[in-house]
Amino acid sequence: MVEETFLDDNFLRQLMSVGEVDLLVGIPSHNNAKTIGQIVTTIEESFQQNFVRDRVVIVNVDGGSRDGTSDVVLNTPSPKSSNSRGLSSLRTLHRITTRYANQPSRGTAFRAILAAADLLRAKACAVISPEISNFSAAWVKSLLQPAYRENFDFVAPLYSRHKNDGLLARNLVYPMGRAVFGRRIRELNSGELGFSGKLAGQCLNFDVWREDTVRTSPEAWMAITAISSGFRCCQSFLGPKVHSLNSSGTDIVTTIRQAVGTLFWCLESQQAFWMERSGSESVPTFGPEHELTAEPVRVNRKRMFDLFLSGAAGLSDVLKSILTPETHAELQRIATEDDREFRYKDELWVRTVCEFAASYHHAAIDRDHLIQALVPLYRGRIYSFLQEHHDSSPEDIEAHSENLCLEFERQKPYLVERWKANK
Amino acid sequence: MAASPESLWYKDAIIYQLHVRTFCDSNGDGIGDFPGLMQKLDYLQELGVNVIWLLPFFPSPLRDDGYDISDYTAVHPSYGLLEDFKAFLAAAHDRGMRIIIELVLNHTSDQHSWFQESRSSRENPKRDWYVWSETDDHYQGVRIIFVDTEMSNWAWDPLSKSYYWHRFFNHQPDLNYDNPAVFEAMWNVMKFWLEMGVDGFRLDAVPYLVEREGTSCENLPETHAIIRELRKRIDQEYPGKMLLAEANQWPSDVCLYFGEADEFHMAFHFPLMPRMFMSVQLEDRKPIVEILEQTPQIPDSCQWCLFLRNHDELTLEMVTDIERDYMYDEYAKDKGMRLNLGIRRRLSPMMDNDRWRIQLLNGLLMSMPGTPIIYYGDEIGMGDNVYLGDRNGVRTPMQWNGGWNAGFSGADPERLYSPLISNPVYGYQAINVESQRRSQHSLLSWMKRIIHVRKSSRVLSRGSIEFLKPSNHRVLAYVRQLGEEKILVVNNLSKSAQAVELDLRKYKGSIPIEMFGGNLFPRIGDLYYLLTLGPYQFFWFRLRRI
Repeated sequence: MVEETFLDDNFLRQLMSVGEVDLLVGIPSHNNAKTIGQIVTTIEESFQQNFVRDRVVIVNVDGGSRDGTSDVVLNTPSPKSSNSRGLSSLRTLHRITTRYANQPSRGTAFRAILAAADLLRAKACAVISPEISNFSAAWVKSLLQPAYRENFDFVAPLYSRHKNDGLLARNLVYPMGRAVFGRRIRELNSGELGFSGKLAGQCLNFDVWREDTVRTSPEAWMAITAISSGFRCCQSFLGPKVHSLNSSGTDIVTTIRQAVGTLFWCLESQQAFWMERSGSESVPTFGPEHELTAEPVRVNRKRMFDLFLSGAAGLSDVLKSILTPETHAELQRIATEDDREFRYKDELWVRTVCEFAASYHHAAIDRDHLIQALVPLYRGRIYSFLQEHHDSSPEDIEAHSENLCLEFERQKPYLVERWKANK
Repeated sequence: MAASPESLWYKDAIIYQLHVRTFCDSNGDGIGDFPGLMQKLDYLQELGVNVIWLLPFFPSPLRDDGYDISDYTAVHPSYGLLEDFKAFLAAAHDRGMRIIIELVLNHTSDQHSWFQESRSSRENPKRDWYVWSETDDHYQGVRIIFVDTEMSNWAWDPLSKSYYWHRFFNHQPDLNYDNPAVFEAMWNVMKFWLEMGVDGFRLDAVPYLVEREGTSCENLPETHAIIRELRKRIDQEYPGKMLLAEANQWPSDVCLYFGEADEFHMAFHFPLMPRMFMSVQLEDRKPIVEILEQTPQIPDSCQWCLFLRNHDELTLEMVTDIERDYMYDEYAKDKGMRLNLGIRRRLSPMMDNDRWRIQLLNGLLMSMPGTPIIYYGDEIGMGDNVYLGDRNGVRTPMQWNGGWNAGFSGADPERLYSPLISNPVYGYQAINVESQRRSQHSLLSWMKRIIHVRKSSRVLSRGSIEFLKPSNHRVLAYVRQLGEEKILVVNNLSKSAQAVELDLRKYKGSIPIEMFGGNLFPRIGDLYYLLTLGPYQFFWFRLRRI
């Protein structure tokens, strides 16, 4: 049930006016006045092009912007109609906006969007980040259509990525999520996604909204909830994703705390679902399966390696309390290798991650500290990956990624074993 | 010229549109006639309508349902004699009702004596009464209106071995208004009926009177000049008579036919009609508000004519392609319900016989700015027969009772000009005047009430309109105002109950009085005024400062 105090009266009044809708697009925001107007216009263009008969609403949930973001949402003119008589879409295009108190929080914004979807009985929903500079009307259609027309409940985006982009997803979140939960969904933790009203209602009713992990990465939690609750999942290709220059950007430590923290927390909360499963299944995909590009991206590899070395050395005691002695010793050994020869191989990397997950479960140390201890090891892994694949083609990298996924699946029994073992 | 309040009678009119053939047969030949219609005037008076608009009743080969006139100054023998018409006219006037008749200015039937003379020889004095040519290459590019049946606007006449111009069917040659004799002849026709006492004309197909090379041959200045001259003569010789334009165009184009209050008194608002249906189906006020906000102001003495359904298909010419597709999908799923660019159905079947939706649409019709037209039979919720060809499915006999031929005729049923509607839902045994007269809660009784309420105030017929735009888009609300008198109209376009908060602060202190029951509602204050409405419910409130 929605708590009585969760939605303010003004928001409820706006929802009441909108009434039942077919489609809802949510935009969480915080100081996005410069970009959000274009996002709103583009969403409405998509409504006019693709959903002309349907009841639609844009819901902006703002985390206390000081730059007039909400005003921009409400006052941006609707896109011009191509009709010579100036008649536009059949229906009223609704926009509503609400603010929540306290610090900006993706989880709080997400929860408000789910509540709006539930109360408005939306059939299909999408959430769009206001910081995308190449956002197009086609994205809205791609995210909504599978839930609206094809009866899917969760629509994960697929992006066209550079081979060195999305490394956390490719080296950890995707392969581990796939091995553990058994569904091949590449983007578990993206700011863009689609979902059905049914899934929105179910997620809203879970008592998880005070959990830090859900507050910081509600998208990943929803994806895993969809999988583990038996909802129909799919992927939809959106093309390349470019963040705006005004994008706040997130450092790797925060990113790992959010993405890996949520993944591990979901392992904990969904263990009844995944413990006895093995292997993985693909999910239906709209558009290309995956696309890697090879344009050069500059990465400071030397600094990455240095940070790995200092972390492995400085956190040795912490790592001892997380990892098995064999794994810890193996790590210490590779840390002595020359940077040109250094390799953090798949087998060891997967074993490392599994042991981190099990230690997270056993709460061997403070869970936040545990996740942070993974950061230098992740840097080592990425350094190794970049060294190994400096000249690799996108196809080679894709083949390697598949091997890593299979390695995670192969070691899943080891994860279960560690999970069930005493500390 | 300033119009006196009484000369603006057309603004306060409730028009009832009917075809003599369909209404009542007095002589048992299976075809309605003027004596039969006269017998039913009491019914129309009881209903509350005060103007009757008659579809063409002139002699005609009836190849276009009477719009192909072969004699402008007589009555088709099937409908009676001229004397019958005169008696009917007098009886209507006795009841305080006015009569509007059709006049087709643009063309005649090819059976008209004028055309027969014109084609008989190139030397005939009436040769120039029509638009003749040796070739068919004049006025290239002018659109063909009946694209399903006509290949060209020119037709070859083998008798006079030349081409004649026709914008409609090839058996309807266009008159040549560049010949002053044609104008005078048509003016004489109008005088003939005006002298008899008719109160106005609905002029058919007015945009096409004049042709000019290099133009679309529509809405030309010369056409407007002809209308202005007709209007001038009417104002001078027959003040108080009214001209109604049929021009299926966008409001900004139709407005030209009002001129500076020196052309037509009234014109149909074609684009509004489909948008009323659209709004109810979409449960969204947007289509209505959008088109009315694009409708230009018209001169004070002029008026829009509003209608839901009529004798033709529900025309979808004045909508966008997207809107047309939507209307087809929602209201004409069966392809047989579609005709040309329209939908050949009656109001009640289009509303799935939903009483609340029928009432809401009539509520809109009666409360928006314009003079409402009720199509015969819609006041009792008559059905249609889409299996009859052309538009005949909405022109079936009026259903008076559940007896022989629905009380329409004493003829053998096989002899009727059209089969009756006889299915279990809309058939005459279920839907008829007699049974609905017996119930205070029938649609007919409700229609009488709304007409009575509408006529109780001139605000609805003559007042301005200001849209309120509450955040709930399912609610269409507006204030009609005439002088100090104000009426608040609130319509729930949705199939579910709605709450709405109206910003009525500029009417602070007024007491809303519901016009159907006379009940008082809470006084308007500083806060938003909260109303709740049931599915498809509407309120009319008189705002009174007491």
